[in-house]
Amino acid sequence: MVGEELVGMTPEMIEASQAGMKALGAGLAVGLTGIGTGLAEMAIGSAAVGATAENKDVFGLVLLLTVIPETIVIFGLVVGLLLLF
Amino acid sequence: MLTPEQMSKVLIAGPKDALDSVIAELDSQRLFHIEDFVENDQEEYTGYKIGNPLAGAGDISKELLRLRSVTGAFSLQGEDLDPKARIRRSELAAQIEKELPRIEDEVESLLAKRSALENHQKEIEQKIEVLTPFADLRTDLSLLHGYRTLTIFAGTIAKKIDLGVPSEVYHSESKKGNFLVAAVPVEYRQEVERKLLDAQFQAVPIPDEPGPAKERISVYNVQREADRKDLEEISNQINALKSQHSEFLAACDELLSIEAEKAEVPLRFATTDHAFVAEGWVPTESLEGLVNGITKASGGKAYVTQLPVEEGKDLPPMEYHNVNFVKPSQFLIDVYSRPKYTELDPTLIVSIVFPIFFGLILGDVGYGALLLAMSLGLRMVIKGDDGRMLLDVLRNASIASIIFGFLFSEFLGFPIPGLHPVLPTRHLNIGGEAGGHGPAVPELMIMAIWIGIAYITLGRILGMINHARQDHGSHRVKAVLANLGWIMVMWGILLMIWSFFAMPLMPDLTGYPALVAGLSIPAIAGVVLILVGILLIARDSALEIVELPTILSHVLSFARLVGVGLSSVAIAMVVNFIAIGLIIEPQLEHLTIIGVILIIVGVFVFLLGHLFNAILGLLGGGLQSLRLNYVEFFTKFYKGGGRKYDPFGLKRRFTED
Repeated sequence: MVGEELVGMTPEMIEASQAGMKALGAGLAVGLTGIGTGLAEMAIGSAAVGATAENKDVFGLVLLLTVIPETIVIFGLVVGLLLLF
Repeated sequence: MLTPEQMSKVLIAGPKDALDSVIAELDSQRLFHIEDFVENDQEEYTGYKIGNPLAGAGDISKELLRLRSVTGAFSLQGEDLDPKARIRRSELAAQIEKELPRIEDEVESLLAKRSALENHQKEIEQKIEVLTPFADLRTDLSLLHGYRTLTIFAGTIAKKIDLGVPSEVYHSESKKGNFLVAAVPVEYRQEVERKLLDAQFQAVPIPDEPGPAKERISVYNVQREADRKDLEEISNQINALKSQHSEFLAACDELLSIEAEKAEVPLRFATTDHAFVAEGWVPTESLEGLVNGITKASGGKAYVTQLPVEEGKDLPPMEYHNVNFVKPSQFLIDVYSRPKYTELDPTLIVSIVFPIFFGLILGDVGYGALLLAMSLGLRMVIKGDDGRMLLDVLRNASIASIIFGFLFSEFLGFPIPGLHPVLPTRHLNIGGEAGGHGPAVPELMIMAIWIGIAYITLGRILGMINHARQDHGSHRVKAVLANLGWIMVMWGILLMIWSFFAMPLMPDLTGYPALVAGLSIPAIAGVVLILVGILLIARDSALEIVELPTILSHVLSFARLVGVGLSSVAIAMVVNFIAIGLIIEPQLEHLTIIGVILIIVGVFVFLLGHLFNAILGLLGGGLQSLRLNYVEFFTKFYKGGGRKYDPFGLKRRFTED
């Protein structure tokens, strides 16, 4: 089946389909890692706001803790960019 | 630069009759960070007690309390005022005697009037609320009271019911519910009560008012309106007084606060019946001035001497020692945590690196100029010290953004005509206009990785210095070597990668022939570095081994310099494409009236889009650059948790001696 479908495709079509797959992959890499980062930061962020409300001095520390999961989406972004360019 | 202000531990001792003059001198010099005396079993302080406040402390506090109630009513903040001229303290003291009580009385009487009016208004509102259900009842309310043979029921009810006894009933229906007033002969009272209970009757109090409810409501409404006008008048008067006296009151507050602080400072000293002793810290370079000042002020009665600093026991307070350019960044360090006295102060490094990172992320001449204008404009509005420092940080960052904008050749997402980018290009191919080959992502990535490698190596070197300065004994050597171990592992991994893969902008070590097990000389060197490094780390703390993957994640984390930057460029180019390519340009070909409107819409989209992107860029660029410093850099060497140097004495803004 797969072979039959490919037979009907011109090289341009195959190339375009590959480019599309790359774009999809890049989108998935950024989107899914973004969701991951969001989920991770959700709990940390709410706890951080609570802690800051109790004691303002911990602001620097909790900001640091909150942004740690951001690395996940950055990895996704790196993969996405490397896929596209 | 990288070290804090040098502090000396100082002891001041003298007879109690010199206390006043010593305190006055300490207050005017604002140099002495007092170590609070605590009564305990310290041998050298046997027989000493915490001192008593100076004479008059109670009166000053009372006066200050009264003044604060006035400034509180004005919601007056000294910080928000820009003093036009300073008042001499002697002059002000005389004015305080004369004028302050008058102003305070005036304000207090206004406040009393205001609260009386507010209470009256509340009472009236309550009365209106009670009257409202009866509004449609035409009967005189006084007729609903005082019968011996009749019981009056009034209240809300679920539905209209037939009481089934001789009665006179008023029933009204409205959105809020049914309302019932019924007059029933006393003998049927229990029967009616039961019926009403079944119909979910809820009694309301019958207002004790003369005349029909509607009339009374309008009477009260008139009164309420009059109260409102009076309240407005009073708040106008209070505002007038505020604008007239705010500077004087702020000056009084300052003077009295200084006096109160001076009167209470003996509570922090150690005293006997006839003498006092105070310990504290003074910047070493100002020590001589303090000694001379106190000797002179006390007429030679008080004695000042420098104490030896006991390492490990004494922890001096920390004051930054930086050149002016670096000072605004102290704010960023304080947000994290103030350095310990013995620790390296990273402010200088952050003040240079933060703007560079910001510029790398938001390198755009247009946005940089916009943020620069914003930081300068906000200076008119924001007055506090912290706010000013933040604005200065923003100013430096936006200047860096403009410089990097030229290096990237970007203006609001457009390439600057005729200017070839010095750094790898970030221009994307948006809107199908074939513009070159798109962004040079691999080059940009490698550039960011190099920055990461360099910055983390610097962090580890600072870590070695910090441990060498702070630690003692065998732990010191181990800790220093462990930091060296981290550097070795990182560079070992790099050597391995270079010997297997050729990458742009990085050394190509793939050409060496394999010696052992498929490894070339550079690869073997890498393996040795990694193994020795791990050994050094494990010797200090074996648990740290689990942290090894952070080498990779922290270096790769610097890729955000490219990622966040590219997304900002992409948004700018999309805005340009939508506003100009899709809306404005097609209209320019055949100009019609609708076309002109569409062009205006396009301009609006253009401005709004870029404003939005500038704010995103400010948040993204600022937070990401800060994070790279806080998480990737500080964790390598910086602990923080130092005490702030807070010398005795208040800053004078409104008064002078």
